Amino acid sequence: MRATEPAASGVVERNGVGVYWEQFGSGEPAILFLGVDPIVSSRMWKGQVPWFARRHTVMTFDPPGNGRSSRTDDPNSFGDAEFVAHALAVLDAAGIERAVVVGLCQGAEIAIVMAAECSHRVIGVVAINPGLVLSSRHPHRRPGDFDGVLDSDEGWAKENRYYWLRDWAGYSDFFFAELLPEPHSSKQHEDCVGWALDTTPEIMLAYCFSDPPTARDDQSSAADLCRRVRCPVLVICGDQDMCQPPERSRAVAELTGGELVVFEGSGHIPVARDPVRVNLEIARFVRRIGFVDRPVR
Amino acid sequence: MKAREPDRSGRAERDGVGLHWDCYGNGSPAIMFVPTWPIVPADVWKLQVPHFARSHRVVTFDGRGGSRSDHPAGEAAYTHDQYAADITAVLDATATASAILVTVSRGAAPAIQFAAEHPDRALGIVAIGPAVPLAPQHARLGVPFDEVLDAYEGWAKYNRHSWQRDYLGFLEFFFGRMFNESHSTKQIEDCVGWGLETDPAVIADTHAGQMSSLGRAQLRALCARVRCPVLVIHGDEDEIQPHARGAALAEATGGLVTIVGGGHGPMARDPIIINRLIEEFVDMTSPRPAKRRWVRAARRPKRALYLSSPIGLGHALRDVAIATELRQHHPDLQIDWLAQHPVTKVLESRGERIHPASAWLANESAHVEDECAEHDLHAFQAIRRMDEILVNNFMVFNDVVSDEHYDLVIADEAWDVDYFLHENPELKRFQYAWMTDFVGWLPMPDGGDHEASLTADYNAEMIEQRSRYRRLRDRSIFVGEPDDIVPDSFGPDLPGIREWTEANFEFAGYVTGFDPADVADRDEVRDQLGYRPDERVCIVTVGGSGVGSDLLRRVADAVPAARRLVDGLRFVVVAGPRIDPATLPRRKGLSYKRYVPGLYRHLAACDLAVVQGGLTTCMELTANRRPFVYVPLRHHFEQNFHVHHRLQRYGAGRRVDYDEAADPDGMAKIIADEIDRPIEYRPVETDGAARAAASIAELV
Repeated sequence: MRATEPAASGVVERNGVGVYWEQFGSGEPAILFLGVDPIVSSRMWKGQVPWFARRHTVMTFDPPGNGRSSRTDDPNSFGDAEFVAHALAVLDAAGIERAVVVGLCQGAEIAIVMAAECSHRVIGVVAINPGLVLSSRHPHRRPGDFDGVLDSDEGWAKENRYYWLRDWAGYSDFFFAELLPEPHSSKQHEDCVGWALDTTPEIMLAYCFSDPPTARDDQSSAADLCRRVRCPVLVICGDQDMCQPPERSRAVAELTGGELVVFEGSGHIPVARDPVRVNLEIARFVRRIGFVDRPVR
Repeated sequence: MKAREPDRSGRAERDGVGLHWDCYGNGSPAIMFVPTWPIVPADVWKLQVPHFARSHRVVTFDGRGGSRSDHPAGEAAYTHDQYAADITAVLDATATASAILVTVSRGAAPAIQFAAEHPDRALGIVAIGPAVPLAPQHARLGVPFDEVLDAYEGWAKYNRHSWQRDYLGFLEFFFGRMFNESHSTKQIEDCVGWGLETDPAVIADTHAGQMSSLGRAQLRALCARVRCPVLVIHGDEDEIQPHARGAALAEATGGLVTIVGGGHGPMARDPIIINRLIEEFVDMTSPRPAKRRWVRAARRPKRALYLSSPIGLGHALRDVAIATELRQHHPDLQIDWLAQHPVTKVLESRGERIHPASAWLANESAHVEDECAEHDLHAFQAIRRMDEILVNNFMVFNDVVSDEHYDLVIADEAWDVDYFLHENPELKRFQYAWMTDFVGWLPMPDGGDHEASLTADYNAEMIEQRSRYRRLRDRSIFVGEPDDIVPDSFGPDLPGIREWTEANFEFAGYVTGFDPADVADRDEVRDQLGYRPDERVCIVTVGGSGVGSDLLRRVADAVPAARRLVDGLRFVVVAGPRIDPATLPRRKGLSYKRYVPGLYRHLAACDLAVVQGGLTTCMELTANRRPFVYVPLRHHFEQNFHVHHRLQRYGAGRRVDYDEAADPDGMAKIIADEIDRPIEYRPVETDGAARAAASIAELV
């Protein structure tokens, strides 16, 4: 049973891709939890949605390729501009002018893009382990490994296009074990693997090689993007994150003038593994925004 | 003593009227504590200023008509326009571009006017119990202010003519209604004291000017022009300004926090929640990018925060002994000390970790020294008058336990922590062990009924706190045995101290801060310390604070006579870390030492000791079975009653009152009599630290 059912739901259609959204609760400011990486569905926010819906209008949507959104393996469906357009369409569908935008990993990158390029729609950004290329990659993600024909499929060698096609479930199992380094994460791991199996390696390849290229492809354009953000930013960073190096979080906070909270001993998905602390941090951030962003009488 | 002195002070002049201002600290954003009715000075914010000055520029000034500012004649000088313009003048004088304005009562309207007229300079307003005519005044305050009345009972005292006849009567009545919460004696006393320094004729002008100059419609128009965030805090039992007024102001401008059960002066009566609300407002209003960290629960090391009272060095020794025993139970327990000089001196010598936030503590020893007259320390009043230091230090403590994760807090007579935790029970987030070696504030006989009523009120509040919030303390440890408890009562209609303490504490026995085996061979210790077998050594020491220098002088005066009476007599004075021996007289046969780390070894080796009535030193001498003379500080209830009672139980030491000690020949004879007295003391238990630690260890 879900802790709270959506008050409204629907599908926005763009270029033949249907994006399924849900709306919960009501109250200012609205909070949009982004769905970007098709390896998981919007259910990844289940630790956040019910509590925030008590005081806020909460919007979620499934990324193309997962949950109740369309399945597509067209790389053109996964560019930054597409995600931004989906997110804005979801806000439009619920009649929401401005929202606090929350994203994890590549979702955090989209939140930053939205804040930089559609500043009138974004009143604040919560970027959790943001996936902007503001530092080198983790050393375990070696260049060339993804596309090469490798003689091993041990460890991070599983992050390889041929292995994906051979054993997507094996990759998912490995990948989320790495992303949840906290002991006793069996439930979170099981959830994530379950969502991963709701998509396909072909869809994931389309997502990873989207066209046109995204802001994540080049360090100086990623930095420029961050510098253009004018709204308040909160960055939450797991110092044990095996997906995005913590330096990227520090850089986003610095470049946007935002606030950084480092979770010591935390991996890539604190929204699932440390939901209470994540919720308290987001709530504090939202409260502060509401305070300063006070309507003029 | 103030918890913090201003960094800068000055006068702002406006139209010939001088305003005294003080400026503390320099962080951003600036916070101005706005004057209210000048019947009280800027000191009314004494429980806020030291805390906020740590990270903000804090500006205060005395309102025109009171204290160190000018007192122009006529009510026209005291309108809201004047007070609002004074805010501008003081911001200009202190070169403060913009500030958050914190107000109480009559400070609200000028602050609103200022914010309406200077939107770029007002970053926010906190209005506590605002005196704003947006809702009707309490009907009972509808007393004609200017008319001569038949009688001046109750609220009829709120009248110009009554003030001329009996100003004190008005002040006591008015501030009694302002602080209508129980146990508010100190707050009332402070305000009445400030009120007595004002001129009732001027105060009548300020009242007329402030209350007549701003109508409801005009204030509503000003509220509509306020652009900055506003937080209203109002007690729902405020008898001076109705809660409905605060609610109406919040409706017109911002948010409302209601203090349920609160009166008109929560900044003084509930300082911790007020400081936290102001702090949160400042934080919300002026977001500052910051880096924070949160450690996942499973990864946190086990940590204890130990607070050791700095009033008397003895606590430090026994607390180190308990910490050492505690580590036997939990070798992985990290112990941090939130401590101040002179306790830090002991801790540093033992290699203990002193929390860096200790630097923010206001010094209690300095306050006690400041309170001391000649060998005279009114301990109860000294602690009572330490209110702003206790609030400042509790805020430091609360910051530490909020930002970091402690499993356990051990408080050895850390009065601030125990009192304010009971006043703010929601701030408890750790296991909490409380320790003390005495229970019960006791009045000195010459304090009369008034002092007896004050100590009874303090005891009653403590008993109520313990009864209501049992969960606050996970351990209450009495350092001693039930027989050490005085046979007195907490006060009229209150329980007996022993009966209540036995029901509410566990007993660890006495905790000596040294290993008895270390001094078992007295001849060897004497040899190590350079005391010859043929000389007789009298140690003179007055503990760790600076309050004992008078007694040291008196003993020095008795040295020549004493040396005539006792062959080979030599005096060694240990002055302690806060007394400079260079300020003391020189005598033949008398040598000075400053701080000696192993004082207990000197006490074990001596032939006689002359000491103050502090518990630790007296009990070290008792444990070492040495003859000693103790001279309690006058008016020090703990030394005169609690320690004296305990020493009588042990049959230890000879009590000498200071007047007796001040006669050199008499004192010399006492020294000669006591140095050969046979020792028949009750043995002192040696397992106190282990017993206390075993109990506390169960909390980790």
